[in-house]
Amino acid sequence: MLNIIACFKWVVDEADVKIDAKSRALLMERVGYKISDYDRNAIEEAVRLQEQHGGNVVAATVGPSTAKQCLKDALSRGPERADFINDPSFVDLEPEQTAAILATAIKAKEEYDLIICGEGSSDLYAQQVGPALAERLGIPCATCVNKLTLAESKKEIIAERKLDDGMEVVSMPLPALVTVLPDINTPRIPTLKQVLGAAKKPVDNITLNDLGQTYKPCLQTTGILAATMERRRLKFGADEKNILVIIGALLKEGVIA
Amino acid sequence: MAGIWIFAENREQTLELLNAGRNLAQDFKAKVVTFALNVHLAEEYINHGSDEVLLLPLLGQDQSLESYVPVIAEVARQEDPDVFFIGGTQRGREIAARVAARLNTGLCGGCTGYKVDQKNKLLLMNRMILGGAAVQTVVCTTRPQMAVIPPRTFEQAPLMEGRQGKVIELPAAQPSAVKVINRTPKVQESVDLTEAKIIVSVGRGMEKKEDLSLALELAGVLGGEVGCSRPVAEELHWLPEERYMGISGKKVKPDLYIGLGVSGQIQHITGIRDSKIIFGINRDENAPIFEAADYGIVGDLYEVVPKLIKELKVLLKK
Amino acid sequence: MSEDKFAAIIVGAGPAGSTAAYLLAREGLEVLLIEKGATPGSKNMFGGRMYSHALNRIIPNFWEYAPVERPVAREIITFLNGGHGVSIDCQNLNWVKPPYHSFTLLRAEFDDWLASKAEEEGAMLACGIRVDDLLFDKGRVVGIRAGEDEMLADVIIAADGVNSIVAQKAGLAKMFLPHQVATGVKQVIKLSPETISQRFGLDGNNGAAQLFVGDCTEGMQGGGFLYTNKSTLSLGLVIKASELQKTKYKISDLIEDFKDNPQVKPLVEGGEVVEYSAHLVPEAGLEMMPQLCGDGILVAGDAAGFVLNLGFIVRGMDFAIASGEAAAKAVMAARKNKNFTRQGLSLYVQLLKQDFILRDLEAYRKGPDFLGNRRMFKEYPQLVTELASKVFTVDGTPPVHLLGKILSQVKESRVGPFQLAGDSWKGARLL
Ligand SMILES: Cc1cc2nc3c(=O)[nH]c(=O)nc-3n(C[C@H](O)[C@H](O)[C@H](O)COP(=O)(O)OP(=O)(O)OC[C@H]3O[C@@H](n4cnc5c(N)ncnc54)[C@H](O)[C@@H]3O)c2cc1C
Ligand SMILES: Cc1cc2nc3c(=O)[nH]c(=O)nc-3n(C[C@H](O)[C@H](O)[C@H](O)COP(=O)(O)OP(=O)(O)OC[C@H]3O[C@@H](n4cnc5c(N)ncnc54)[C@H](O)[C@@H]3O)c2cc1C
Ligand SMILES: Nc1ncnc2c1ncn2[C@@H]1O[C@H](COP(=O)(O)O)[C@@H](O)[C@H]1O
Repeated sequence: MLNIIACFKWVVDEADVKIDAKSRALLMERVGYKISDYDRNAIEEAVRLQEQHGGNVVAATVGPSTAKQCLKDALSRGPERADFINDPSFVDLEPEQTAAILATAIKAKEEYDLIICGEGSSDLYAQQVGPALAERLGIPCATCVNKLTLAESKKEIIAERKLDDGMEVVSMPLPALVTVLPDINTPRIPTLKQVLGAAKKPVDNITLNDLGQTYKPCLQTTGILAATMERRRLKFGADEKNILVIIGALLKEGVIA
Repeated sequence: MAGIWIFAENREQTLELLNAGRNLAQDFKAKVVTFALNVHLAEEYINHGSDEVLLLPLLGQDQSLESYVPVIAEVARQEDPDVFFIGGTQRGREIAARVAARLNTGLCGGCTGYKVDQKNKLLLMNRMILGGAAVQTVVCTTRPQMAVIPPRTFEQAPLMEGRQGKVIELPAAQPSAVKVINRTPKVQESVDLTEAKIIVSVGRGMEKKEDLSLALELAGVLGGEVGCSRPVAEELHWLPEERYMGISGKKVKPDLYIGLGVSGQIQHITGIRDSKIIFGINRDENAPIFEAADYGIVGDLYEVVPKLIKELKVLLKK
Repeated sequence: MSEDKFAAIIVGAGPAGSTAAYLLAREGLEVLLIEKGATPGSKNMFGGRMYSHALNRIIPNFWEYAPVERPVAREIITFLNGGHGVSIDCQNLNWVKPPYHSFTLLRAEFDDWLASKAEEEGAMLACGIRVDDLLFDKGRVVGIRAGEDEMLADVIIAADGVNSIVAQKAGLAKMFLPHQVATGVKQVIKLSPETISQRFGLDGNNGAAQLFVGDCTEGMQGGGFLYTNKSTLSLGLVIKASELQKTKYKISDLIEDFKDNPQVKPLVEGGEVVEYSAHLVPEAGLEMMPQLCGDGILVAGDAAGFVLNLGFIVRGMDFAIASGEAAAKAVMAARKNKNFTRQGLSLYVQLLKQDFILRDLEAYRKGPDFLGNRRMFKEYPQLVTELASKVFTVDGTPPVHLLGKILSQVKESRVGPFQLAGDSWKGARLL
């Protein structure tokens, strides 16, 4: 039996973000949202472990109250229940705030053996919430995990970490926290029945009021500037003539010889 | 003790951070304090500009570098540094996040550069967001101002003559509950993609591993190296991780980047942004790579690349 | 709801499907609305113009809640030829008073909103799911299959747009042939609201719809459109697919040329393209309409071919909404009689006949033939623009009476006077 919390973030689909070339402002008016890419791996891993060992999976997210849509999406991927920790002010949170909010909520209401986070969120990619949350909960943690196994004793989790200097296998007593890499699994694509089932799963609505404290960021944003790139953007067809034109251009640029 | 503090898991990165630290020390009129794993390194860091070195205790066999977190956080709590830079390896990132949480301070993850507000002694730190689509500037209003600095952001600090510094030994660490039960060091790649003048990059548009030969042949004709997108390395495991480019991979600046079946999503483009010329081959005319490329061919790579190789062989007389 | 059985399953959360789902859910039915896109509208064409009447009937004063962009105050038709352009410009301030005549809107937001209205009424919305097949029992449609999952319902409404898989699987429709569809492309171009109002001479948040005939399609059957949204322009081309296939042109290049046209350039200049999309438009009118209902199934909106394509003007949203409404009414009637056979659902066709849909489509029945006439898209724009240039050019040559100018221009052009007379007769009947 494993009680697992999978943490996921509802993020802007960065492919929808357009840039105003002149002012270098981000045009965010018509962006779509999605579950942060690698958090799908986190949810998937939680569900797989649960399927293997029994127990249950809670999907937990911190976000603005309008992000409701994410719950159905997350729950259609397998968890039994969701914690929706929301407040209108929970937009553009700093990772340290998110970790603190998650920690308060989890301490107050969850019993868990394992917490799984993604390697990093698609928007901030701070790789911070997971380890910071572990610290606040005072539990051991391992980042960059690409394989998870429950030890024979069922009291420890064995995590294989992929790091700059090689592989490292660690064992940790439960409860513990891991952050997972995208190659740990291939997330399932929810089926119609799973999508319909998700609508009936319970969601615990946790508000700022329930948390009973406020969360101030330590980092203040002073500016955002879109990255722009001057490129020629010439598009050609695939025939020999075009290939010769491009080779000619590359020779002239002096980048091939 | 205050000062500009530095921790990185290896020598190269520590020296890079020392270079930044020395400059900051002047701005902040503070000393540079560096963590070192052994006495030998401690001496070297002093010779490269550190004023003080905090010597970390030896770790047990089954302990990973991350078990230094309580020691590092504790000494930082006592000494109250102004700035704390941590080298952006994977372990470094975990350590930074956990130390920042313990100190209740802000951390700029993936800090690609900064300016100094001299008057308020604040760092205006840059970090990439949205996969690299934008750069956000943040200031940390608590102490210490912390940042994770990716490798090769700065040059290494030069050796300075006749420097003296204090070495302080830190107390032994409480063994961490995280026990290492196996280690497999990575075989170092002989190729450094960041040095390549021409990079042929393979994306998921390549159907099978054997077809890498196409990319290798193209790279061979051009005298370049083969790189890839993150899923090709991480999910398909066709190429080593050192070969993928992007926000979480290598940042390259070749003269010519050729993408074969690379969709060109922002996380990948962020790593190749500084290429002189970008040339993409993709069969989807709406693929984002064409927005980021100088030259693009809309077509099947299995048709285009052989033709390209053939013509190049003729024209380059190879 | 008995396990896995709904009163109605509606495939496609476009305007047709969401309207039907909204109305049925409002009647308290267990309704499932299935959409293959990640969100409703995410796969639909951005931008365009919707005539208000159909939706206003269902959600009175919808503009107070719906994400609409600008009410259209100004209609312009521009004939393009070489550097010349002639425009017919019509403004009507009654159009921008309730009940507004038409609105420009962006589909991703609008479709999402309409689907959320259905959800509010209790419809189940399942996004990211593609319906692959229908389930039959003794020849009657009884449910759908999506991937591994099967789901039953008393009735299925196919609202899955042009080239409807569902209508095809039910044996009610065939795949369209290239001469039965047009290809549409559209760019959404960002400009400040003030710039847009100024360039189109618009008051406040009023909008304009501009349609183009001539050069922009290289003489092929079709046309261009330009709609003003709040802070973007929707610019696009619609070209008959079979004609496009025969040429060397790529529609993606044609739209770039269109943007460079001297009549268009000043309107879009300095704008940033923020969205690009392509989509098919059914266009053979009534001639290609599928059977509208079968045992256990109804076909609505684009899936039923309810689109009026005059080449330069595409109108389908109000048809989609009204047909969704008719479908919902027919389903309610069928429930009352507990008869979901083709017979039991036949109220649908009756309602469509009484309503404007079949009437309007009937009125334009000969449209495709008339529009198939190349003169419409090549010679006439040329004729009109050259004539106008002559009328307005003062260069010291002796003046000629207007009628003389017209006649000489007709003579000079490649269109004979008889053809012109014939075409205008056909055209007049059509319009
Ligand atoms: C937090 C985070 C960090 C990330 N960091 C990185 C990073 O550092 N580096 C990185 O690369 N990615 C990174 N990614 C992943 C990134 O978002 C993309 O998923 C990835 O770059 C896509 O790789 P791809 O182009 O190989 O594959 P795909 O996106 O699957 O594209 C394959 C392309 O091949 C084309 N194609 C298919 N067949 C053919 C053919 N026969 N001929 C020609 N073209 C063909 C297709 O049209 C398609 O465009 C990150 C993602 C996240 C969320
Ligand atoms: C370029 C262009 C410009 C146009 N301009 C105008 C205009 O200005 N004014 C106007 O009134 N009309 C315009 N139209 C026509 C109008 O867009 C359509 O008539 C209208 O969208 C039809 O609505 P619908 O609900 O029938 O279909 P759609 O809007 O096409 O919706 C069908 C939905 O079904 C979904 N779907 C498809 N297959 C499946 C499946 N198997 N499973 C699940 N879901 C599925 C699709 O994702 C889609 O969301 C234009 C069309 C084009 C192409
Ligand atoms: N708002 C949030 N709600 C829940 N989990 C989050 C949130 N933000 C981040 N996480 C988790 O923390 C991981 C790392 O995020 P980040 O530190 O932003 O890179 C993500 O992959 C999620 O698992």
